[in-house]
Amino acid sequence: MNGLSLHRKIEENTGLLIFGILVVSAIGGLVQLVPVLNQDSLEEPTSNTRPYSAVELTGRDIYMREGCSVCHSQQIRPLIAEVERYGPYSRAGEFVYDRPFMWGSKRTGPDLHRIGGKYSDDWHRLHLLDPRAVVAESIMPAYPWLGEREASEAGNITAKMRGLRRLGHPYTDEEIAAAEADLEGLKEIDTLIAYLQLLGTNFNEEEETNE
Amino acid sequence: MADMQTGFWAGWIAVLTLVSLAAMGWLVWSIYFGRDSHEETPEEPVWDETLEEGHRPPPLWWFWLLFGAMIFSLIYLIFFPGLGSYSGLLDWSQGARMADSMENFDARFAEPRAEVAAMTLAEIQNDLNLMDTAERIFRRECSVCHGPDGRGQANLFPNLHDVDWQWGASPEQIEQSIRGGRRANMIAWQAVLGEDGIDRVAEYVQVLGSDAAAGHEGATQYQQTCAACHGADGSGNVALGAPRLDDDIWLYGGDLATIRETLQNGRYGVMPAFGERLDDFQIKLLIALLAR
Ligand code: HEC
Ligand code: HEC
Ligand code: HEC
Repeated sequence: MNGLSLHRKIEENTGLLIFGILVVSAIGGLVQLVPVLNQDSLEEPTSNTRPYSAVELTGRDIYMREGCSVCHSQQIRPLIAEVERYGPYSRAGEFVYDRPFMWGSKRTGPDLHRIGGKYSDDWHRLHLLDPRAVVAESIMPAYPWLGEREASEAGNITAKMRGLRRLGHPYTDEEIAAAEADLEGLKEIDTLIAYLQLLGTNFNEEEETNE
Repeated sequence: MADMQTGFWAGWIAVLTLVSLAAMGWLVWSIYFGRDSHEETPEEPVWDETLEEGHRPPPLWWFWLLFGAMIFSLIYLIFFPGLGSYSGLLDWSQGARMADSMENFDARFAEPRAEVAAMTLAEIQNDLNLMDTAERIFRRECSVCHGPDGRGQANLFPNLHDVDWQWGASPEQIEQSIRGGRRANMIAWQAVLGEDGIDRVAEYVQVLGSDAAAGHEGATQYQQTCAACHGADGSGNVALGAPRLDDDIWLYGGDLATIRETLQNGRYGVMPAFGERLDDFQIKLLIALLAR
């Protein structure tokens, strides 16, 4: 048998054709995806990556809700220009508690992966409520409602943490029980700032040797 | 940069890749050059009386294109990591490439950096090119808070070009402000002073430094609670970041309402630390820019 007669056989037999297509198109996934799913090192958090607290988790959900990732990426690529501008490039282990990832793919504004600690809370507050108050030429939209809405009403935090625990995030019963109280009295903007200030701070340079 | 695959999955990747490459090679080869690839097969069906199914192989340049791509993949897999745990003849890795380009980058700027390190601040200030660089660094890193011209904004971020330095005007003090950041801490005085006390002291702070201060009814409480940090005469204390109160320069504001607000709620200005984000060269240029 050669390729041509094989061709003929397959083309004249629909069942065989479907089977062949499935096999061939599965190979890419079998090589690229399956081994990675079984690679523990990608699920290993960097030594000081921890699950988001109730407050930070709420801030993260607001980040998702407001679509910040439409304009901001959260992944610093291993390129000199990016490392010089934003800081150490992003490691897989820093994202193990991100479900889903906020990596994004578009940079209308700067990357935010290492924004934590770069500015003060005061600055973030002014900037989120009205970006033009601090950056005259900014084209980022203003989010005035973040300063008015109660954080405790931004979704059911207890259910969220339970769900994440089922997926393997190590929350304790006490943390989940205290979650609602943690949000008491906070506005949405407070939680978003807490989230921004945590971003990218879970990485220490010493781990950089682990290439 | 995730580490290489090892063990079972490394073999899995290598075997699947090589087997499918070989299978494709065989398929393409045999279609063009196989035994019956050029024979006519008579029993082809004929549709609509004239429509015959032919099976002439596609043009030969297709073959070379596909074959070339396969050869390329093979060479690629020999030199670069891709086949499971085999790291390639070149021993290439993303992490190493990053470290390499960082080294090149540092080497490229080593000379101007060393020059700047050896210069005095006055020499830097007289070099227009360097000052231009300094201004660009300032605009990129600092202007979102201190304003594009460094003259402060939003009544939260101080003017860096006035005579009043909360944390000190010497190059060493400015360096400390930039490297380590500053955390000002003035607690709320409502509980200590009471409503009336706040009014009296706020008024006193407003007139501090002028003749009206002598014998003012807020003076006693000011001396008791505030003088330790702001000085008996309101001249401030750079070690604590307590600003001068006897002049007309204010960060948060010098009108009565704002001073009252300052006293009622306290003030906790934060200047972030830049010691990690900027290198020595950039920091020195910034000091030269600000210490003029
Ligand atoms: C339309 C696109 C757009 C959207 C949506 C957007 N931003 Fe921005 N953002 C920008 C641009 C442009 C800048 C740069 C100018 C500036 O600093 O305002 C920026 C700057 C920032 C910065 C400062 C980054 C730095 O390193 O200086 C932060 C923090 C930030 N955005 C947070 C957010 C958050 C949080 C949200 C969602 C609530 C958001 N942005 C939504 C465009 C956007
Ligand atoms: C997040 C906003 C922010 C950024 C960015 C920032 N600063 Fe500041 N800076 C402040 C605040 C707020 C203060 C006042 C702190 C206080 O209240 O005592 C300050 C104080 C200072 C001081 C001390 C001023 C004095 O009167 O003693 C210096 C010097 C300074 N900043 C320089 C810089 C430089 C240089 C940069 C850029 C590398 C920079 N700052 C970036 C917010 C910022
Ligand atoms: C523990 C030291 C300390 C004491 C005591 C203290 N202050 Fe302050 N004060 C500070 C610091 C530090 C700041 C700067 C806060 C900042 O930059 O965020 C400040 C800021 C201020 C400002 C704001 C100045 C401006 O430029 O807007 C006023 C007004 C002031 N203090 C008044 C007082 C008065 C009145 C008292 C006594 C009731 C007092 N302070 C007691 C440390 C102190």
